[in-house]
Amino acid sequence: MKSETALSDVISYDSVSKKFIKYLKNHYQMYLLLVPGLIFLVIFKFLPLIGLTMAFKDFQILLGNNILDSIFKSPWVGLDIFRRIFSSQDFISVLGNTLIISVLKIVFLFPLPIILAILLNEVKNRAFKKTVQTVVYLPYFLSWVVVFGLFFTLMGNEGVLNNLLSQFGFEKVNFFTDKELFRPLLIISAGWKDTGWDSIIYMAAITAINTELYEAAVVDGANKFKQIWHITIPGILPVIILMLILRVGYILNAGFEQIFAMYNPAVYDVADIIDTYIYRKGLGQMDFSLGTALGLFNSVIAFVLITSCNFISRKSTGKGIW
Amino acid sequence: MNYRITTGEKIFKICNAVILTFIGLMAILPFIHVFAKALSDNSAVISGKVTFLPVGLQLGNYEFILTKSMFLTCFRNSLFITIIGTLLSLFCTVTTAYPLSKVWLKGRKFFVLLYIFAMLFYGGIIPGYMLMKSLNLLDTLWSVIFPFMVVPFNMLVVKTFMEGLPESVEESAKIDGAGDIRILVSIILPMSMPVIATIGLFYAVTYWNGFFHATMYISKPDLKPLQQYIYEMINSANNINNNMSVEEMLKISPGGVQAAAIIATTLPIIIVYPFLQKYFVQGMTLGSVKG
Repeated sequence: MKSETALSDVISYDSVSKKFIKYLKNHYQMYLLLVPGLIFLVIFKFLPLIGLTMAFKDFQILLGNNILDSIFKSPWVGLDIFRRIFSSQDFISVLGNTLIISVLKIVFLFPLPIILAILLNEVKNRAFKKTVQTVVYLPYFLSWVVVFGLFFTLMGNEGVLNNLLSQFGFEKVNFFTDKELFRPLLIISAGWKDTGWDSIIYMAAITAINTELYEAAVVDGANKFKQIWHITIPGILPVIILMLILRVGYILNAGFEQIFAMYNPAVYDVADIIDTYIYRKGLGQMDFSLGTALGLFNSVIAFVLITSCNFISRKSTGKGIW
Repeated sequence: MNYRITTGEKIFKICNAVILTFIGLMAILPFIHVFAKALSDNSAVISGKVTFLPVGLQLGNYEFILTKSMFLTCFRNSLFITIIGTLLSLFCTVTTAYPLSKVWLKGRKFFVLLYIFAMLFYGGIIPGYMLMKSLNLLDTLWSVIFPFMVVPFNMLVVKTFMEGLPESVEESAKIDGAGDIRILVSIILPMSMPVIATIGLFYAVTYWNGFFHATMYISKPDLKPLQQYIYEMINSANNINNNMSVEEMLKISPGGVQAAAIIATTLPIIIVYPFLQKYFVQGMTLGSVKG
């Protein structure tokens, strides 16, 4: 009995390896196809991970013959850099700004695309609907620099808004340098850019709702508001929950490109987020180790948040981003 | 009873149309204002007379950015980045997505995991900069192309699309003894054109709009892409009037030139967008969420 099993094992092992060779012969091209993508993945996504050791070293760029050599030759300092970061006032301030801006964006901007999708869904005139959709999606395709330019022309010191204000005898309001107004400006411009585009996912969800439900509701004498409240919203609730969970997962992402394009020294106190701080400290002031360490902290927390939120979402709604 | 509902519905319809018209106007009016400003007379711009129609129509602002500034050079850089970048990205994305769309591919899970990890874990600004520096890619246009070579999200969208293609279409080619590459080129590629168009547009927009990488990696003025040029122009309104005659300087204003540059940068997107909207929306609903 025992020897038989062993024998069949040998045979099956042999046939497995034969099978594998045959598989490779037939499909080596598949692996060939993977090569170009993998080269870039390894060089531009995984190689930088070596650089993360800078977070635990006192990195001095001129120590070696090249960057890699300098990284190796720089002395280990353990967790000193992290200690320096966590005990600094700047860290608390930029972490606070990141969270505040992110939460404000969720609170004020998350419901907007849902409302827009519901309103658009109620439009029966196809041409009107299509026109509105085309127009509201457009801002999504503009760069943050252009959005900055547009808002600066509208709300800057010499902008149209301030011209109107001064014409009517009011004082000018400088949104871009006022600490009270800069965060609202960030929220408004982010809403302007993304609301239309974000409504697409909810539009798709509404389309999937069974139309018989509405017909039955009309027979029962339910008006539009009741239909929206009792059919549309419950119908898209799973998608809303999914999007909210994922959005919370990206809470450390307060909108780097946007803030980087729009902020200025006058509003650092209220707008400097982790990423912009890393850029200025790490590259601007060449405190490479600090920039790397703070970046590593940010990436690890973000990674944990996103994967756990995706996990929660998969458990509760059966859907996720991967 | 019935009558009451219809009145209510009518009111709702009207309110809805008004609200949506308002939202639509909000989305488009900033453009119209900047567009008008770019075409307006210097004095009208400075005195703030321009709202939604050009005042004292003239093309001096456009003339300036097209002849007296670095605009065209930067435009060419952006064009190069966008065209070459999109083509290379599409190549790498499709060649990656096809093998990974096959459930039977050995090692598939591992490779997919690599890309998902790359999507979720960011190495950071400083290590990225050090990498570019060690590869001697600083101050080259490649430095802003390579980081976006395969955007994992886009690759996963293409992969999902290919998974949906019926396996049977490949059967006849397999019987003829065609290799995987030939099947990809002659069968899968033509069938995947809708998703390739969508993803190609996403890449093109990413390349055209990208500016942070350029800010970090490119410092030579003649290598800067358009977005960076505009960013610097807005932030330093005074640097436009070198080597100009007094007459020319009277014609243009910083505000007007900025407006013209903003419009000229956005124009390529605004022109192609209405025709390609279908593909954009398709991609959004195709790839955003995995069941």
